[in-house]
Amino acid sequence: MSPAAAHAAPAAEPKTGARLVVEALECEGVRHIFGYPGGAIMPVYDALPGSKLEHILVRHEQAAALSADAYGRVTGQPGVCIATSGPGATNLITGIANAFLDSVPMVAITGQVASPLIGTDAFQEVDIFGITLPIVKHSYIVRSTADIPRIFAEAFHIARSGRPGPVLIDLPKDVVMLAAAPAPFEPFVEEECPIDEGGIERANALIAEARAPVLYFGGGIAIARAERALRDFSERTGMPSVATLKGLGGVPTDTPSFLGMLGMHGMRAANVAIDNCDLLICVGARFDDRATGKLDTFAPRAKVIHIDRDPAEIGKLRRAEVGMCGDLSQILDRLTALPEAEPWKEQCAAQKALWAMSYDAPGSGIYAPALLKQLSEEAGDNAIFTCDVGQHQMWVAQHCRFTRPQAHLTSAGLGTMGYGVPAGVGALLAEPEATVITVSGDGSIMMNIHELATIRRYRLPLKILLLDNSQLGMVRQWQELFFNENFSEIDLADNPDFAEVARAFGIEAFTIDHRSQVSAAIERLLKTDGPILCHVRIDPRENVWPLVPPNSSNVQMMEKSR
Amino acid sequence: MSGRVVIDFARAEGALVRMIGLVERRGFRVRGIVMAEEAEKASLTLDVQPLDPRRSLDVLALQLGRLHEVRQVSVSGTLS
Repeated sequence: MSPAAAHAAPAAEPKTGARLVVEALECEGVRHIFGYPGGAIMPVYDALPGSKLEHILVRHEQAAALSADAYGRVTGQPGVCIATSGPGATNLITGIANAFLDSVPMVAITGQVASPLIGTDAFQEVDIFGITLPIVKHSYIVRSTADIPRIFAEAFHIARSGRPGPVLIDLPKDVVMLAAAPAPFEPFVEEECPIDEGGIERANALIAEARAPVLYFGGGIAIARAERALRDFSERTGMPSVATLKGLGGVPTDTPSFLGMLGMHGMRAANVAIDNCDLLICVGARFDDRATGKLDTFAPRAKVIHIDRDPAEIGKLRRAEVGMCGDLSQILDRLTALPEAEPWKEQCAAQKALWAMSYDAPGSGIYAPALLKQLSEEAGDNAIFTCDVGQHQMWVAQHCRFTRPQAHLTSAGLGTMGYGVPAGVGALLAEPEATVITVSGDGSIMMNIHELATIRRYRLPLKILLLDNSQLGMVRQWQELFFNENFSEIDLADNPDFAEVARAFGIEAFTIDHRSQVSAAIERLLKTDGPILCHVRIDPRENVWPLVPPNSSNVQMMEKSR
Repeated sequence: MSGRVVIDFARAEGALVRMIGLVERRGFRVRGIVMAEEAEKASLTLDVQPLDPRRSLDVLALQLGRLHEVRQVSVSGTLS
């Protein structure tokens, strides 16, 4: 029986709204919810003990939403976060927006003041429904206790169906305190999306006549769990492929025909291939500006086949000769034509070899790209990397290996500093057997440093690699390159001693600052059973290379002098 | 250069604000609004003008179509 069908069973006796909320979550198969209690949501917290739900008490509501986001990415099912009204609800907003921008299934539950008080500027009253309208897939204010089972079933259905996203449910306090018999409702069923047979035919014709095709894939692959179909297509055609930040791992990053991430901090071989291709097959990606650079110079000679679950993405930024909306796996499996492109494949392979990353940095300081490469190789396929935002985020994307997209959790659309540690919490609860590694920076980690307490409380064996350049490194890099070295408000030289901070939270920690310490540090990080933080001092002058300058074509890349 | 968007939708709390807000956030100025409702169904007609000529009315229609309450969207006008 589907969760929704289970909801549809008539309930004879009245129950409090809070009990109906808990039962609705249980019916959806929810195991973990991330939250923080407070006044208006207290009736729901009162109903939690004795339920099948494990509540994870975070130390700030933003972390609840970000943990739920990561949980949703790993499981493919909506992550659930819960907070009280007013500041509790507003603290969720960044996490909700993060899920919206990256199309992550999430259900966010907020307490609200009692119905008669709504609109009276009551204590801890805020119009969270109105505030979040632009960043949710859908939202509800529950007006009737009897509607709770239906609304929750519908919310979960909306969050996970089609192009996933966050759904907000605002619960006035009286609605969850009153008792009612649940109103019956029909189960929610995802609509079938028929295959466009004409589109398949036209796409196969374009593939057959292509001499320089490129496969360009994004986060839609992970959302649709379409890795198998993507890999089959990639192997069948042998065509060069590139990934967006969120697409990494769609095909294993060590696949010979995979050229790497494209775009602003992408691999030159990937950007050059896009520039010269005659056919671009875009799967689950959206021509985002970080990927395309100056849009009118992106793949200027290519015809485009665009495949996406969301029809609104097709043609939004780039006209497609063939646009197909639907199940990505079904469509990819039907693209059976083979291009005659051997010279092109050899050309791309040569470019890949020519522009391969170099790790022979001078000096004895720790070179972060080399450290990350070694760490990801030793962590193996069981690892999940969660990232914060900044230079280290790009280094992870460039230098770590991924064999599945769920192994790389990164805030791509919103670029949320502070994502890494809460995401690590969510990932560990979603996949406890995984080796979860959070890569953070000294700027980012301070955004949610309090979540070290959550890690300690639940004994979560999160491995934190903190790359510390005592600066806001990415901002400094841009000020150096594009703002005439006018360094403004990037100095973090007064950072605390991060190892001491971690230890104060009860977490094992150590600091390294010399290249000779790297191997032992990685071994310690990976072999320690409990949570551990490795604080790494790196050269503050190091930049992320290559780089496409703003308003430039992707082939106008700046490179580190070689 | 203006266009007209006609949206058939299911009445629900916040539906109007959601639709009009989406139109504005996607780069269109709302220049006229007419709404009619009957039982649980309703219809909203918006006269809109793009802030940037590259914004497509057809794409806007697809974006409106993603909203849960929206049943059907039709567009007319000189915009493509």
